[in-house]
Amino acid sequence: MPLTPETKLRIYRHMYAAERWEAMLLRLIEEGVVSGIYHAGRGHEGSEVGAVTALRKDDYLFYDHRGCGHLIAKGADMVALYGDFLGNELGSTRGLGAGIVHVCDPEHGIMGQSGTLGRGQLLATGAALSAKLRGTDQVSMHFFGDGSSNLGTFHESANVAGAWKLPVIFVVQNNGWAVSVPVEYSTAGGGFARRADAYAMPGVVVDGTDAFAVHEAAVAAVERARRGEGPTLIEAKLARMRGHFEGDPDNYRAKQAQGDNDPLVKTRRRLLEEGVVDETYLGKLELAVREQVQAAVDTARQGKMPERKRIFEGLYV
Amino acid sequence: MSEPNASATRTLTIGAAIREALAEEMRRDERVFIMGEDVAQFGGVFGATKGLFEEFGPKRIFDTPISEMFIVGGGVGAALTGMRPVVELQFADFLFNAADEIVSKMGKWRYMHGGRLTVPMVVRMPAGAMGGVGPEHSQCPEAMLLQAPGVYIVIPSTPRDAKGLLKSSIRDDNPVCFFEHKGMYQVSGDVPSGEFTIPLGVADVKRAGSDVSVICWGRMVHVVLKAAAEAAKQGIDTEVVDLRCLRPLDKDAILATVRKTGRLVICHEAHRTGGAGAEIAALVAEEALDALAAPIRRVCGPDAPIPQSQHLERLWLPGTKDVLTALQEIVK
Repeated sequence: MPLTPETKLRIYRHMYAAERWEAMLLRLIEEGVVSGIYHAGRGHEGSEVGAVTALRKDDYLFYDHRGCGHLIAKGADMVALYGDFLGNELGSTRGLGAGIVHVCDPEHGIMGQSGTLGRGQLLATGAALSAKLRGTDQVSMHFFGDGSSNLGTFHESANVAGAWKLPVIFVVQNNGWAVSVPVEYSTAGGGFARRADAYAMPGVVVDGTDAFAVHEAAVAAVERARRGEGPTLIEAKLARMRGHFEGDPDNYRAKQAQGDNDPLVKTRRRLLEEGVVDETYLGKLELAVREQVQAAVDTARQGKMPERKRIFEGLYV
Repeated sequence: MSEPNASATRTLTIGAAIREALAEEMRRDERVFIMGEDVAQFGGVFGATKGLFEEFGPKRIFDTPISEMFIVGGGVGAALTGMRPVVELQFADFLFNAADEIVSKMGKWRYMHGGRLTVPMVVRMPAGAMGGVGPEHSQCPEAMLLQAPGVYIVIPSTPRDAKGLLKSSIRDDNPVCFFEHKGMYQVSGDVPSGEFTIPLGVADVKRAGSDVSVICWGRMVHVVLKAAAEAAKQGIDTEVVDLRCLRPLDKDAILATVRKTGRLVICHEAHRTGGAGAEIAALVAEEALDALAAPIRRVCGPDAPIPQSQHLERLWLPGTKDVLTALQEIVK
């Protein structure tokens, strides 16, 4: 089913929000109030937003460390997000922050992130098992990179998901680089989507810079999962437009012409070319997003840093 | 939580007590399910889940592939989303196969995410040296988890404790590693007939005494009780404190027995170096050194792997004689 103009606009709005949100975060990093461990998501907005917008509020998201597009699209509050990065009490974890944050918002199905790579695959599969056992039609979506696809956790998760037909969607964001190691060097088999076949699930390759294509693939995967037909692996090919983390010299790869890989530029152009909206409309939408981002950061910066007692809170029930 | 009414009891093995606890909690709460290797129709390689498949069917108890990372990590995902998994690692040694899932996912997910999620799950872990299963399938790795804040550590020594503690572990909203000694599934004892639970983090004085305290847990409780009976014939009155849990740790019970007798022997099957005994000794040194009339003694598994040979396995295990010697020496 072709995407409605409303869906296309919703996707673009979240992508633009993710990009503007991140641009502001980078300023906070430069200012020295946020840790440079942040792993920028520039270039990944299309796959993260395109896929997550196929989910319902009660579906589960186990996100990855790359940017915040998936979180923003799932409904994370921007003030809380900045609060998490600032490490103050307005964050979703009330000050545990920062750098690679563990944002959490159970009301929006934002179930957290594993700092150790690959492990989210296991938890997302477990959440899908839970949905199946409880007899709901919820699905579980997990993002990870080409690097994390090479952990043994992937095999254990994909095998169980395929064997038990669990409603989980694995989104491999293949940007070609596991920190400094290129995928051609590290990975056998000629692509991640091909692996899906071994686990009895569809493996779909999409242009990860084409948010609408990602969305269509994700909608098909979600519908399949809700029908009880099991998991899908979506390999979104895209380019990481910044270093692995802020401060990465990024001197191990050739500088790329970024315009062609920029999902934001591409999506905006398509909205205009397809006549979904005009320049004036987009200008207004973008202004509203920028104002939202500015208001969020202004509010978040008012948050108090936690006291030492925060260290001991929330460990046990 | 309620301590059992002592009146009506019957005799059960630890294996049967564990099965009863699982069955009762599964009847009580439909969110409780069991998964692990060979746990369903086969009933578990040590028979701990026998008969549950027949009562509860394949949606409540099912086998997994040989995938320990998934058994624990998948359990965490299910626990976060409304279920109460009881997963089985076929051998406690597989803690190392699923170490990140236990230490950093099960133990820390709630904390890392601001306390906004809960991980109500139990990992059952058959532990200990028995039957010559060798260096990689015989360990008591509970002390590894002392460095895993967020994870409760429960180690029963009797059928009554096994049942009451397992029921509490399943009902607790915090994640629990529940160690069952492989050499004890056939050990019998009295178990209350009615409904009961035993609170986590409360030690049990298995034998009261006034001359020397032995702090122990798991199978060593029985070894120590035998040694205490021998020591009594020689006029040594031994108090035996079964910790039952290493986290939550019953610090008050540890300090109380040390202050009572002034002499402390710590006994566990796990390797001596870096075992939980070291932590208890440190705690006593910090908070009750003034109460000690003699240096603390440890009777533990030696710092060598547990050999496959059953002959050497028997020689490896700390025994009644070792405990008795420590008791005789510490009261001198």
